[in-house]
Amino acid sequence: MTAIAAVALGGLPGPIILVAAAVVLPAMAARVLGRLVRTALLLALPIAISAFLVNLFFFPGATQVLFRIGPIVATVEGFGFALEILIRILAISGAVTLFYLTTRPGDLTLDLERRGISPRVAFVTNASVQTVPALVERAGQITAAQRARGLDTEGNIWRRVRGIVPIVGPVILGSIAEVEERTMALEARGFTRPGRRTLLWTPADSVRQSIGRWLMLAALVALIVVRLTGVLG
Amino acid sequence: MSHDWPGPSPVTELRTEGLVHRYADGGVRALDGVDLHVAAGERVAIVGQNGSGKTTLVRHLNGLLRPTEGRVTVDGTDAAGLTIAQLASRVGLVFQDPDRQIFAGSVRSEVEFGPRNLGRAGAELRDAVSRALEATGLAGEEATNPYDLGQSRRKLLALASVLAMRTPVLVLDEPTTGQDARGLERVRTVIESAASEGRTVIAISHDMRFVAESFERVIVMRAGAIILDGSASHVFAADAWDALASTHLEPPLAAAIGQRLDLGSTPTDASLIRALGP
Ligand SMILES: Nc1ncnc2c1ncn2[C@@H]1O[C@H](COP(=O)(O)OP(=O)(O)O)[C@@H](O)[C@H]1O
Ligand SMILES: [Mg+2]
Repeated sequence: MTAIAAVALGGLPGPIILVAAAVVLPAMAARVLGRLVRTALLLALPIAISAFLVNLFFFPGATQVLFRIGPIVATVEGFGFALEILIRILAISGAVTLFYLTTRPGDLTLDLERRGISPRVAFVTNASVQTVPALVERAGQITAAQRARGLDTEGNIWRRVRGIVPIVGPVILGSIAEVEERTMALEARGFTRPGRRTLLWTPADSVRQSIGRWLMLAALVALIVVRLTGVLG
Repeated sequence: MSHDWPGPSPVTELRTEGLVHRYADGGVRALDGVDLHVAAGERVAIVGQNGSGKTTLVRHLNGLLRPTEGRVTVDGTDAAGLTIAQLASRVGLVFQDPDRQIFAGSVRSEVEFGPRNLGRAGAELRDAVSRALEATGLAGEEATNPYDLGQSRRKLLALASVLAMRTPVLVLDEPTTGQDARGLERVRTVIESAASEGRTVIAISHDMRFVAESFERVIVMRAGAIILDGSASHVFAADAWDALASTHLEPPLAAAIGQRLDLGSTPTDASLIRALGP
């Protein structure tokens, strides 16, 4: 939700306050701020840096020159827009990372099922949530395997970027195969059996949590409406 | 080229000095001061119970892990100054778990990956690949998806993918675990032929018979340290059994029989038969 809100909110101060309120404060409360910052930066940096540079130098229709490097001109408009993009990307990656750091996948599935969502949908949601850490793990393994066979990905940036290319394919194919395997394992254990099932335990959910969720959802809807109708920004 | 070795180097010699490794998360000293020297062309087996630090040790030899303290040298050069890719041109490491090593969509592209990175191409590349596949019994499977091979053959594929690089040092992390009888025979043959070409072979194994039969030197690890280091007949001799037992290892059956019959140290079947006389 924070991620959508960051995109919906225009301008610069809005998203900054949003990141502070919806990502940094809860992260501090959950005592995961350090890990959050590291992981979020890791996720966001490649995209953030390239988006920042592209906008700084190539913002269409910009006139106010900030500085020049040879034929390349950095503009004030570009800089402003680049900052906005940067903070939005950080908000998105921050929110996504916060979710992974604070939500046990098991809790998510149980909660979804308790709310009457079909186990199938709950499973698919859970599988996609679990896929991200699995992807990161798999990417690490493949990098090690490829380096051990002479792929040079250390040293300059260009080598590092080039090193990502042979990793992407295997990681994605591998994770598809894994989800397939897990699905088969579930079928073998009667997961697709029709009829209602009993949950073994229920995740804790207080009234305050529930009110909080509804408030956030309402704020998000309001924000999108406002943004679309052009009242703000 | 990035794989150029700094300085001339006719043979490959490995050394660790006071090697300590602590995994960042957890804080266990997985290696607690290991001093090891392996000369070019040696055949060395590393044994010890699970968690004794065998994998951690060998992953330092090609830079996948870096020392917390101490150092690793390859041909006298400190490995700290070399990338994994540079070290990989010297030290080929076959991972314990093939599923962590294999990533390509076909047997051929998996086996080609290493030699290509080392700059092999054309006939030389084809030759390296076909010889590695031949040696591991995977010839004819070039187009097969590695996922469709059984566990035993996936392990052999992981071995082939490193063999094809023709590194002067070959390190095998548990090549016999999960291997069927035919696979085990392949592994033996691969080690024999690598050794006959003068390459260094270092292997981790829990199969004491295999260790005694195929390696001239046996290193026993316990809790991150080397507790025994010597020839198979030395390490499997009766006076070392207590040390072996302290890390839950049993000598090969031939050694136990030789001891019962008072024939001296007979770690291999052949040495037992010889000691039994005509
Ligand atoms: N990635 C890791 N992170 C933290 N601890 C590890 C890791 N890998 C191994 N260890 C620990 O280091 C010790 C040595 O492990 P390892 O070298 O794998 O032993 P072996 O190969 O002899 O079974 C064990 O206590 C193990 O739990
Ligand atoms: Mg191991």
